[in-house]
Amino acid sequence: MKFTTNREGLLRPLQLVTGVVERRQTLPVLSNLLIEATPAGLSITGTDLEVEMVAIIEGVQVDQPGTATIPARKLADIWRSLPEGAEVSVTQEADRAIVRSGRSRFTLATLPPQEFPKVEGAPSDIEIKLTSKEVRRLLDQVGFSMAQQDVRYFLNGMLLEITSGHTRTVATDGHRLAMCTLNRGADGVERHQVIVPRKGVIEFSRLLADDDTEVTLSVSANHLRVKQGAYTLTTKLVDGKFPDYEKVIPKDASRSLQCDRETLRQAFLRASILSNEKYRGVRLTIDEDTLTIQANNPEQEEAEEIVSVAYQDGMMEIGFNVSYLQDVLGALSTDQVTISVSDANSSALIEAKEPDDSVYVVMPMRL
Amino acid sequence: MTGTHVTSSGASASPPDKNSVGRWSQIIAHADMDAFYASVEQMDDPRLRGRPILVGSTSGRGVVLTASYEARHTGVGSAMPMVKARRLCPQALIVPPRFARYAELSGRIMQAFTDFSPHVEAISLDEAFLEMTGSEHIFGSPEQMANRIREAIHEATGGLTASVGISGTKYVAKVASALNKPDAITVVPPDKAAAWLAPLSISRLWGAGPKTQARLKQLGFHLIGDLAVADPDFLKARLGSLGMHFYALANAQDPRSVARSHRARSLSSDRTLEHDISDPADIRRHLRRSADRVGTRLKKNNYLAGGVRVKLKTTDFQSLTRQRLLNEPSDVADVLYETALSLLPAFASSGPFRLVGLAAHDLIRADGPEQGDLFNSHQQSRELEKTIDALNQRFGKNAVRRARDIDSSTVLGDHASDLDFLR
Repeated sequence: MKFTTNREGLLRPLQLVTGVVERRQTLPVLSNLLIEATPAGLSITGTDLEVEMVAIIEGVQVDQPGTATIPARKLADIWRSLPEGAEVSVTQEADRAIVRSGRSRFTLATLPPQEFPKVEGAPSDIEIKLTSKEVRRLLDQVGFSMAQQDVRYFLNGMLLEITSGHTRTVATDGHRLAMCTLNRGADGVERHQVIVPRKGVIEFSRLLADDDTEVTLSVSANHLRVKQGAYTLTTKLVDGKFPDYEKVIPKDASRSLQCDRETLRQAFLRASILSNEKYRGVRLTIDEDTLTIQANNPEQEEAEEIVSVAYQDGMMEIGFNVSYLQDVLGALSTDQVTISVSDANSSALIEAKEPDDSVYVVMPMRL
Repeated sequence: MTGTHVTSSGASASPPDKNSVGRWSQIIAHADMDAFYASVEQMDDPRLRGRPILVGSTSGRGVVLTASYEARHTGVGSAMPMVKARRLCPQALIVPPRFARYAELSGRIMQAFTDFSPHVEAISLDEAFLEMTGSEHIFGSPEQMANRIREAIHEATGGLTASVGISGTKYVAKVASALNKPDAITVVPPDKAAAWLAPLSISRLWGAGPKTQARLKQLGFHLIGDLAVADPDFLKARLGSLGMHFYALANAQDPRSVARSHRARSLSSDRTLEHDISDPADIRRHLRRSADRVGTRLKKNNYLAGGVRVKLKTTDFQSLTRQRLLNEPSDVADVLYETALSLLPAFASSGPFRLVGLAAHDLIRADGPEQGDLFNSHQQSRELEKTIDALNQRFGKNAVRRARDIDSSTVLGDHASDLDFLR
C-alpha cells in the first residue's frame, strides 16, 4: 500500500476517526486505524467494538492499493504536528508503515488487517433523513441528562424514538429527565424506540456540523448508523427497556410560575457558589410573585437571592440540586420559562413559556 | 484542668474574648488524647489507677506504646524499648495492649467530633484536627469551643481526658495541644502565633526528626524563632524545599487545610467457603447473601455506601479485589448486589475460589439531603429490605426470607438445617 496526499486532506478525518479509539484497549488492534487504499480513494476506520467510524476520502493519489492498520493516536499526532500544507506519503513495507514528509520520516508498527473487527452491516428497519442542525439539536438538548455508569445500564444512553409524526430523544439519570421532539418522522412507522449508548451519542454529536448538511439515520435491530457526507458512524444499541418517560412527565401540576429565564439562571449561578459542594442543594420559597433562593454550606456561609416571578398559587417550599436547574436553564433558549409543580415531593416540569421542542423534569431534593 | 490563653505580654494585650474572635480568619482545633492507651487501661481497671503503667508487649523486643503519666517522670516514653523502660521504672506494671478496645473508643471520640464540624481529620486513633471556622455563633469563642470538645470527649469515652490546642493553622494548633498536657486547653490567636512559637525548641517543628534537628542545630538554629528570622535563601540552599517548609512553619504559616479523614470506613461480609467454587451462579449466590448482610448493617447503623468492593480469594491464597463507586450513595442491598455483579467480568481469574466477599466502602452518614428519584426504583427495594430486617429482628434470624434464598440454601450451607424444617 502506498498513497500520497497533503496534510489538510486527511487532518480532520484522522482526528474524528481517532476520537472513537479508546486509550485503553483489551485488543491491541483496536488502538489502530484500518486504512484501505483503492484506486477510488481511502477509507479510514476506527472502532472500540461499540462505536465504529468510517471516513471515505477521495482525491488521494493512491500509488499502490492495499490495506494496513496503523496506531491511531500516533498517526493522528504526527499528522497534526506536520507543517501546514505539507505533502505526506504513507507506505506499507513488510510489517512497518512509513510516513514521509519533506525531511521527516516516521516508521510505525502495524498489525495484520485480518485482525481488525468490522461491524457487519445489517439491513436497516427504518431510515430517516434530517439536517445536521436538527439532529444536533435533538442530541444537545438532552445529552447532559444521560446517566454515567449507572447500574441501571439502560440509563447510560439516550432514547431515540421514531414515529410517523416525530423524531424524539429522551435522556434521564433518574434524578432529572430531558426530552426533545422534532415534528418530522418516518412514514409508516408506528413507534420505534432504541437506546443509543452514551459514547455513541457523544461521538455522534462531535461529528455533526451546525448546518443544513443532510444526515441519514438508519436503525437496524442492533445498530444505529448515521451517515453525514464522507463519514459513517455506527453504534451498537443498548439492549434494555427504557423507562416509560411519559409517566414521569407531570401533567396538570397544581402550581405554576413564570419568570425571566436569564434572571433566574444568574440567580441560581450566584446562589450555587455557597451551596454544599457535595449535595448542591438550594431551598426555593415561592410566595406571591416572589421566588426566594437560599443556599448554605457546611462552613455556615449563606446566599439569598430574591427573584420577581409571576405566581399566585400559594406559598410553598421545595429543595433542588442547583446543578440540575442550571443545566435546564442553560439548555432552554426562550426569554420566559414556566415551572410547574404540585408539592415539595413531586417532580417539577420546566419548559419554555411558549410552545417549544424541549421539556425538562427535575426531581426535588429533601433538604 | 489548666487553661492557658496566650496574648501578647504587654499591657496593650487585647482581652481574650469576643474582640479576638474577629481577628480569626480561620479556626483550627487539634485534640490529642492524654496517654490514650494507658488512660484506657486505667479507666477500665480501677486497680491500675494512680499507678505507673506501661502499655506494650513484654516480649524481648517489644517497645512501650504508651506510658501513664505516673511513669513518665522517670523518663520513660513511647517507642522506648521495654527492656530499657523497665530499668528506668522498675515499679511500673506492664499491660498488654487491647487494640480493639482502643479502636472502639477512638470511634466514639471521632463520632463525637462530627458534632462539631463536618471537617474532621483523624491523624491517628487518638488525635484529630477539627475545622471550626465559622462556628463561633454555635460554639462561642475559641476557648469555649475547646472546652466543649474536651467535655464531649469526656462524655463519649466515660471519663478520658484530652488536651486541645486552637489556632489559625494546623501546625500551631498541634504544638499548642502538646505544650500544656495533660488535660489542658491552649488557645493561640493567629496574630500572636509567630511570637508564641519563637521561644520553643526546634524539636517542636512538625516533620523534623532527630537527624534533621541535629542538622538544624549544626546550622545554628536552636529555637523556632531563630528559623523565623533566618534568610530564606540560606535555608533553601542548605535544606532544600524542607528548609522553606520549616521557614513557613516558624512564621506560623501553614496552608494545609483540614482534610476529611481518608481512613475510609467500610463494612464487609466475607465468607471462607467449605468447598471451593468456580460456578458463576454460586459466586452470585454468595454475593447476594453478603449484599443482604451488608445492606442490613448499613441501614442499622445509619450509613450509606459510597462504593462497592468485591473480594475473591483463589485457592492459592491470592486475594483479588475490584471496586466501583456508586452514582449516589446507597444502603439498598439490591443496589450493592447489582453493582457487585457488574464487577465480576473485571476479574481476570475464573476460579476456583475459596472466599467470596462484598464490602461497602467510602461510607457516609445517612443524614444528608435526599435526592428524589423519578422512577422510585430503589425506594421499593429499600422499604422491603427494611421490613424484612424488622421482622427478623423481632422474630429471630431467618424468620422471613426471600424465596430465591431458600433455593440457594443448599449452596450457602448455613441454612441447611432450616431447609429440612421447611421441607
